[in-house]
Amino acid sequence: MTILQVDTLLTLVLLSVLFSFGSSRLPRLIKLVAFQGIVVSMIPFLLGHDMTAGGIVFTLATIAIRGIIIPMSIITAINRVDIKREVEPIIGYNASIVCGLLLIVTATYIGKNLNIPAVKDYTLLFPTAIALLVAGMFLLMSRRNAIAMVLGYITMENGIYLVGTTISVKARHIVEFGILLDILAGVMIMAIILQNIKQTFDDVDTAHLRSLKE
Amino acid sequence: MVELIFLIPFVTGILAFFLPKAVGRWSLIGTGAIHLVLSLILWDTRPKAVFDQYFAVTPEGLLSLLVISLLFFLISIYTVSYLKESEIHTENVFTGFMLLFLSTMTMVTVSDHIMVLWIAIEATTLASAPLIYTHRSSASLEATWKYVLICSVGIAMALLGSVLITLSMDIGNVDVALSFSAITGVAGKLDPFWLKAGFVFILVGYGTKMGLAPMHTWLPDAHSEAPSPASALLSGVLLNCAYLGIFKTNKIMHAAGLGSFSGAILMVFGLMSILAAATFIIKQNEYKRMLAYSSIENMGIIAFGTGIGGIGVYGAVICMIHHSLIKSSLFLSSGNILLGYGDRFIKNTGDMVSRMPKTFLAFFAGFAGISGFPPFGIFIGELFIILGAFRAKHYIMVGIFILSLCVIFAGFANQVMKISFDNSKKTIRLKEKPGLVWPQYILLLTSLGLCFFVPESLYQTIVDAISAIGGGF
Repeated sequence: MTILQVDTLLTLVLLSVLFSFGSSRLPRLIKLVAFQGIVVSMIPFLLGHDMTAGGIVFTLATIAIRGIIIPMSIITAINRVDIKREVEPIIGYNASIVCGLLLIVTATYIGKNLNIPAVKDYTLLFPTAIALLVAGMFLLMSRRNAIAMVLGYITMENGIYLVGTTISVKARHIVEFGILLDILAGVMIMAIILQNIKQTFDDVDTAHLRSLKE
Repeated sequence: MVELIFLIPFVTGILAFFLPKAVGRWSLIGTGAIHLVLSLILWDTRPKAVFDQYFAVTPEGLLSLLVISLLFFLISIYTVSYLKESEIHTENVFTGFMLLFLSTMTMVTVSDHIMVLWIAIEATTLASAPLIYTHRSSASLEATWKYVLICSVGIAMALLGSVLITLSMDIGNVDVALSFSAITGVAGKLDPFWLKAGFVFILVGYGTKMGLAPMHTWLPDAHSEAPSPASALLSGVLLNCAYLGIFKTNKIMHAAGLGSFSGAILMVFGLMSILAAATFIIKQNEYKRMLAYSSIENMGIIAFGTGIGGIGVYGAVICMIHHSLIKSSLFLSSGNILLGYGDRFIKNTGDMVSRMPKTFLAFFAGFAGISGFPPFGIFIGELFIILGAFRAKHYIMVGIFILSLCVIFAGFANQVMKISFDNSKKTIRLKEKPGLVWPQYILLLTSLGLCFFVPESLYQTIVDAISAIGGGF
């Protein structure tokens, strides 16, 4: 795979960051995060890191988890329990997009000035990783909807995965543990479902609990 | 052999989900006792681990391990009496996760590999979240949500930090195992820029879990919503485990000659935590939240002392040990208060001195200990830290430090006086059985004893641990 093609893919990821800052509905946000997840899991493969059979299986597993399993389970969660589709922004969409643009410019500037031997040829790799990381934190802080926060967390995790799998050969093995982060994300999703179940049966439960107060 | 110490609670924890209630309760105490015996054996023999790439017995790990063991054993005795008094629907789940929590925290203390440590700390989050959710109220759900979300972000930061440390190894052309002991050995060759960046991310990451301000926001909620035995474990042990991660990374920094950099950051975070605690503790109206803020204060003190170096590090480790002993006793006593008055607000309690005299004794002595009164160890620890700060000529910082401690003492004392001596119309629903007060007495007596007599092997272990991060006399 040539440098140009990898950089084109990464440009799409950067665009998806902007889109995710501007999107008001959860389903679209979920699709964007799934797209980022798939691209990010493919990058080490595209960079031509020597692939063992284990490595290929691992890449496929990550794509499946990030691109299919997690997005699907979130969609199921919103369908099953009645969660608002609005992401409830604290910072408005237009302001968010401006922040996103600033973020991408800054990330590119920082990425250029850091000397990392492993990814010297790929000019967009490190900037994209930084952008994803900060974008995830931004979504976490600027959206009130619990699912949007989880999606922000996953975006952040994608950024870390991108840093880990590309900048250092040794780190590759480490970041395979990053799969554990996905499990944590799963736990959060479960927590949201529980919360909504809780809200549905609120009156029954609290009354019950009050009589049993510790 | 070393691995057994976290595998045994893991297995009994899984079993406890399926055992009948009564057996589950006794399995808590049984596992606690076995764990205590095993950690004493480890302390004495210091064996090599079977998987020595991943696990190792280190002096700083042993210190935390011994504290965990002693605390868990005493807390398990309390828990059995506590469970009889309170009504928790899913008791099996509670005991099961208590044991799993013990297992994961033990794993933190014996892990040597960077990633195994990371996994173990993440596992503590997963094992303790259900404990916070035990009461199934909407408030406890919110606390659990906050805890999982904030700590996950923190843990992700720590992962990034670990990745950056491997990057510094790559650039420095170092090829060793990814274990703390191996990296510390070759620290001089690592790339300093990326090592510093890695340390900052790890400090922020594990600092979140440790409760350093401004990442502490999960802590008061989680500690106040969890049942008291679980709060005692969270505050007494979990925070130390997170500190251990920072401690080990700090060792690499010192070996690489970047000790002053890491020290300065630790001091700033430490002071911020103490200031945050001072701001919030004054207006607290719930006693468990008050204790939680006091934990933030003490974690700040520990980070501050570690940052100062020299005699301050010794003070920090002393503070860590005594904070665990005293704070867990306070949380257990707060469990009695909650059972007795049935209310978490300070204004609805009062007159504890005549209503629950035994709990009063434990709570008041614990308050004296945690505020740094002389017969307890925190006094010595804080004294060493202040001395160390004066020696290193950090006059302004030490001024802020002492002032904040005074404010915290004033706020704390005010609330404790209300709980102890104010009038109250409530009838107490609790009989103070021995199992509900003796664990606190033993914890406090241990702290008292350690103040007058420090066994030679304990002293030596502390000195061994701190010499690697610029501590000593």
